Amino acid sequence: MQTSFVKHQAKWIVALGILGVFVSALVFIIGIAVGVAFARPGGLLDAGASPFAVSPSIAANPAAVNDTTAEQGRQPSLNYALINDVLRRLRTQWYGEMPSSAQLTDGAIKGMVAALGDEFTQYIEPRFARLLNDDISGVFEGIGATLRQTPSGGVQIVRTFPGSPAERGGVLPGDIIEAVNGMSTQGLNTIEVAALVRGPRGSEVTLTLRRAGRVRPFDITLVRERIEIPLVSSRMVGDGAIAYVSLFDFSQPASRQLEKHLKELLDKRPSALIFDLRDNPGGLLSQAQEVGDIFLKQGVLVIERDYRGNKKVTRTTDRGIAQDIPMVVLVNSGSASAAEIVAGAMQDRGRAVLIGERTFGKGSVQSPQTLSNGGQLRITIERWYTPNDRAIHGTGITPDYIVNNTPEDLREGKDPQLEAAIAFLTTGKTPPPTPFPTVEPTPRP
Amino acid sequence: MNRLEKALAVVAFTLWSAMLVGVGYAGHMLLDPAEARIVQVRGGNTLPLLDEAWGYVRAHFIGTVPSNTLRNYGAIRGALATLNDPYTTFIEPQPRAIERDHMRGQFGGIGVSFRQNEQGEFILTPNPDGPAAKMGVREGDILFSVDGYVLPPAADFEVVARIRGPVGTPVTIEVLRGPSRQRLSFTIVRQLIEINSVTWRMITSTVDGRPFLIGYLKISTFTERSGAEVQRAVARLTEAGAQAYLIDLRDNGGGALSAAVEASSVFLRDGVVAFEVRRSHPGIEHRVRSVPVRVSEHQPIVVLVNGNTASAAEIMAAALRDHRRGQLVGSKTFGKGSVQLIFELSDGSAVRVTAAKWLTPARHALDGAGLVPDVEVDGSPAEQEAQAVEVLRLAATKRAAMSR
Repeated sequence: MQTSFVKHQAKWIVALGILGVFVSALVFIIGIAVGVAFARPGGLLDAGASPFAVSPSIAANPAAVNDTTAEQGRQPSLNYALINDVLRRLRTQWYGEMPSSAQLTDGAIKGMVAALGDEFTQYIEPRFARLLNDDISGVFEGIGATLRQTPSGGVQIVRTFPGSPAERGGVLPGDIIEAVNGMSTQGLNTIEVAALVRGPRGSEVTLTLRRAGRVRPFDITLVRERIEIPLVSSRMVGDGAIAYVSLFDFSQPASRQLEKHLKELLDKRPSALIFDLRDNPGGLLSQAQEVGDIFLKQGVLVIERDYRGNKKVTRTTDRGIAQDIPMVVLVNSGSASAAEIVAGAMQDRGRAVLIGERTFGKGSVQSPQTLSNGGQLRITIERWYTPNDRAIHGTGITPDYIVNNTPEDLREGKDPQLEAAIAFLTTGKTPPPTPFPTVEPTPRP
Repeated sequence: MNRLEKALAVVAFTLWSAMLVGVGYAGHMLLDPAEARIVQVRGGNTLPLLDEAWGYVRAHFIGTVPSNTLRNYGAIRGALATLNDPYTTFIEPQPRAIERDHMRGQFGGIGVSFRQNEQGEFILTPNPDGPAAKMGVREGDILFSVDGYVLPPAADFEVVARIRGPVGTPVTIEVLRGPSRQRLSFTIVRQLIEINSVTWRMITSTVDGRPFLIGYLKISTFTERSGAEVQRAVARLTEAGAQAYLIDLRDNGGGALSAAVEASSVFLRDGVVAFEVRRSHPGIEHRVRSVPVRVSEHQPIVVLVNGNTASAAEIMAAALRDHRRGQLVGSKTFGKGSVQLIFELSDGSAVRVTAAKWLTPARHALDGAGLVPDVEVDGSPAEQEAQAVEVLRLAATKRAAMSR
């Protein structure tokens, strides 16, 4: 009886033990499954050295504080699985040396931002963001040149200032900057290249340039200087009958200095005025308003529309010193931003005749956001429209009379645009119309 | 056992289970080191910058924010751009589908080609005897819609992708015909359309007053079918008595490497067609051997090349020269000796990755260098061809003199 009970109990214990082992194993497997399942929501198949190896659920999104919070919550995250799949292939198969995670991330952000199709929304890598000071006009001190992005992604010299190191050193408009101090500009935008070019006065910078008509890129070494260009220059033209004034940009003292020059010019009792906004890259909106005030009576200067759909109208006040004098505004493809606002308003309101070339077409405002890695994202948040609600952005302002200055004119010191303006103001002679391209007549059925 | 003991057992067992779950959870990291690293990254407090950046864009950008798909593609393109390798690229699903068809050398289609006019409209040219021509589509018809989808202008990838499909399935196209732009509808069953990459003919010349037959073979691109096409063409030409071969690889930008190896093998004894070098095995040269399909072992060969002869075509040209099977005539080749592998991604897009460099059998690197022809002729295509024939005639004359 006793032994059978012991036997029976032993069997029971063994059975319980086996069951326990099975249950334990099952629970252990469940544990693994739970672990795998909970680590997956980021969809990260291969986190190896992936810069994207973080669950998007912890995205501390600083933008999610405004009215779009709800939308942010619903926003599908990036397809990390797809991106990581690509990176995994690269790591195992690519022939070259893999860039660092930070470089890949910077590249991915640039690629994402490029998908917006807005050349002014730009991402600045952390190493360049640190070098940046707030330079809203895109003009930089250092070598005395302005830059732009080419459609193929290169960075090109637009203009060199007279007497600047760039001009003296032989840099020409149209040159493509391939490298700065030996560092390739591949994949960099204008702001990043500008940051590389700038530096302390007296220091050297070597540009590697590619120029049309030359097979190989070549180096030019320049000594950086403080570029001092008079903000306003003025003189009498057309046998002393017409006042001419040009504005370099719309930085802080622009309107005050312009007014000072105008007062002196108007004392000479000119019959008309030429206001030169060519190659003026713009600047502060407040300066555009004050400059507009000088020439325009009460009315609309510019309409701003922001990302929330809000409309804001900026008006000129009736207190200018040059509101009635006959006037021509000279513009070209280098006239941008604030310069386009002023030119567009003068044209829409019949205040001045515009002569020159179609303007640049930058009617937007960028707001810089600093990301957690120190990089900077400059996002287009606002677009500008002329008083007649024409979009400045993209299309630019088309002058009333198109007159082109060719590179030959520039070399020979000629200025057909200014000559056309003088002729128009003295004799009323309008420049000849620009010939339209020949169009084949549409065949009729 | 009393109730207390039972309750204690249950509690103990529950605790035991909970501990096992915990150990299991930790254990999965040991199984998968990648997962462990995620946790590490989390601990390192790295933010997901892409989502952070996009959060700002969504909140503040004034224009239309592109779809999530375009954003993903943009991010991939941007990451690839950091490699500074023009051949490592991302391909969206529709272009990839077309590329895949091209590589295979065949697809389900209706047998039309198109060009775009200035308005971006698609003007059709049906292949004679193709399915579209048989159903009544005419040269000059303007494509209006595909399966009810009205085409936006300048969407060439989309047009091709929509017209193509599995063999045997129908597709309905609407076209505009004539000056009245009458709209006509055709339902056409897709058939197997083959891309012919090889054209051939016999060139009759003379050596010492006797006829000299040169088999002319133009390979325009390398599809997966090109090897077989070359083999068939050479068999026919040999049958017809070809005494020499003129292989025209001008403007052949490459394609499927396996096809170039097969095409080279037609003219080579067993041997190395190229050496492959991978980054994962630096210093190791993998032999890429010819395959046993020899058809022509001894007829002299001239290969015509030019600046657009690239990649797989250069490999074939170099293989024939290095094995002293043929001479190169024409102008210097493009110089692309890198090999891309294509990886298809989950949504039909793909990424092309430069994975290896190929060296010629004499271990010349092609990349960036190109092949300098034995006889350089920079003249017109016709002049190059005439010069190539001359080189073959000269060789035959010498041989004839030696055998005498």
